[in-house]
Amino acid sequence: MTTLEGLAHGLSVALQPSILIYSLFGALLGTFVGVLPGIGAMAAITLLLPITYYISSEAALVMLAGVYYGAQYGGSVASILLRLPGTPQSAVTTLDGYPLAQQGRAGVALFTAMISSFAGSLLGIAILVLMAGWLASIATQFGAADYAAMMVMGLVAASTIGSRQPAKSLAMVVVGLILGTVGTDVNSGAPRFTFGQTQLLDGINLVALAMGLFGVAEVIANIRKADRHGPPNRVGLRELIPARDDLRRICAPILRGTTLGGFFGALPGTGSTISSFLSYALERRVSRRPQKFGHGAVEGIAGPESANNSAAITAFVPTLTLGIPGDPIMALMLGALVIHGIQPGPMMLEARPDMFWGLVVSFGIGNLFLLILNLPLIGIWVSMLRIPFRWLYPAIIVFICLGVYSVRGASFDIVMVAAVGAIGYALALAAFSPALLLLGFVLGPLIETNLRRALLVSRGDPMIFLERPIACGFVIATLALILLPLARRIRQGRG
Amino acid sequence: MQRDYHDLLWGGILALFGLGVAGYAAQSYDFGDLRRMGPGFFPVILGLILAVLGIVIAIPAWWRQAQPEPIAWREGVAVLAALLFFGFSMTRLGIAPATFVAVLIASSVAARRGLVWRLMLAVVVTALTWAIFLGALDMPIPLFPWSR
Repeated sequence: MTTLEGLAHGLSVALQPSILIYSLFGALLGTFVGVLPGIGAMAAITLLLPITYYISSEAALVMLAGVYYGAQYGGSVASILLRLPGTPQSAVTTLDGYPLAQQGRAGVALFTAMISSFAGSLLGIAILVLMAGWLASIATQFGAADYAAMMVMGLVAASTIGSRQPAKSLAMVVVGLILGTVGTDVNSGAPRFTFGQTQLLDGINLVALAMGLFGVAEVIANIRKADRHGPPNRVGLRELIPARDDLRRICAPILRGTTLGGFFGALPGTGSTISSFLSYALERRVSRRPQKFGHGAVEGIAGPESANNSAAITAFVPTLTLGIPGDPIMALMLGALVIHGIQPGPMMLEARPDMFWGLVVSFGIGNLFLLILNLPLIGIWVSMLRIPFRWLYPAIIVFICLGVYSVRGASFDIVMVAAVGAIGYALALAAFSPALLLLGFVLGPLIETNLRRALLVSRGDPMIFLERPIACGFVIATLALILLPLARRIRQGRG
Repeated sequence: MQRDYHDLLWGGILALFGLGVAGYAAQSYDFGDLRRMGPGFFPVILGLILAVLGIVIAIPAWWRQAQPEPIAWREGVAVLAALLFFGFSMTRLGIAPATFVAVLIASSVAARRGLVWRLMLAVVVTALTWAIFLGALDMPIPLFPWSR
């Protein structure tokens, strides 16, 4: 199928009324949770996971993806108006967005964030279309060793790049990998770490784990913190119109941000949060007025916002073409697909063109929705910021319970959520990343299976990871990711 | 001196957990060899890696100063109590009483005191739960103790 045929086919899928409605619903819900500080895309997607059992796989993925990119739009609203990032991806936007809002130019900041997000998403979709076909054709040559090496690199990259304490991040990944081994071992049929509990034979429930880590733990942490901010200023529609000078300034940052985000989003292990930080650093470096950054430079919003949206789209490249999620949100998406019996991988483009192209086109439509709706609706989103968290969290707790229960009708899973939530909260207090635990949990069984297969093929010779050029490349990259920061630290310690 | 107790404690816990996992897996499951890995291979290796990482986290924390984050005890207890109550009463009492009481438990630690807004919130959330999970999704759970 050529790209044009694919897009035409995708249009016919994405324009089905049911898909359209789920896309719109997801995008709006995403914006809503993005606006509200205290609930992120991760928690929202987890809460929706059980509902996806009841709808078609296309609709499910389109809706969850809508939540993801919708949250990127919404996150910037709270960042700009309250200096409270609704999502980690929009944390950078507070740096220049909040000063602009204080200067009475909140409208311009919001407009810049939205138009940059839209442009970033569109260019991200173009990158996704171009890369996915190419990567899928290469991926058919990937062997088990290559997959295993690539996933290990992805996990190491996710825990070392941009992390202040790589050992803590790596520890979370390993805990996730260990939790992933619970249940019946696929190769030997032996039950592992089940301690006689039949409920554990299928392994730890992904939904229960994610809800504990992101739902319960975040609720506990936010009850005290969330309602401390004052009310936001009102923003009129007229204020959204940017000056010609602003428009001129944001064009180049959008292009640079998109390219940067598109690249890092597609790499396993680096995602939209890192992209937005890198983009900010880049913009400040190339700017002719770096002193303006941090005091209300529109470039400081345009670059990161386009980068995180572009990365959010291209993150689907490895997920859909290799079946390897590059970040925790993609891990949840993959979980949703597996619930529907779809194993993403190089064959998916051929076998399920409706899924792939429908998703691609729905990204475009969803982002268009968001742009068209969010500009006039901005007043409503701003007033959402007035909803106190104390009205929301009791409902979230009930929805968590019912969501987990609906997966397989086991009250045991609710107890599990409570336990995971308590541990997750304690870990978050000590600045451990629960997201990395989840990534390790999802990738663990895939890594183990591929590792076993690779060593079976090579008759137990570990040199297979160095003899195969693709695997060898990943091994070298992994070692570099571990050793370079270590070397830097030792040098700093001496100096 | 205020040591970094968070990292000290968690480093220790993770190291012990890693050792426990490795030890239990080594004892209970076949390790195999590189050519044919047994079910114990992966967990033993992971447990050992985690033990090393735990030590790497804990040791420098001894010499590092840090202000421990205040723990939200009350909030944590209320949220967990609401969850557990809901989990135990959902199938026995039905989701209407379970939701109503769980919301009251959870909202008891909110920054704002008072019973009226909490009762109103409980009514609204119960109605929403009924509409979404029984009305729209048609989940097979009783609404009240007598509706089976």
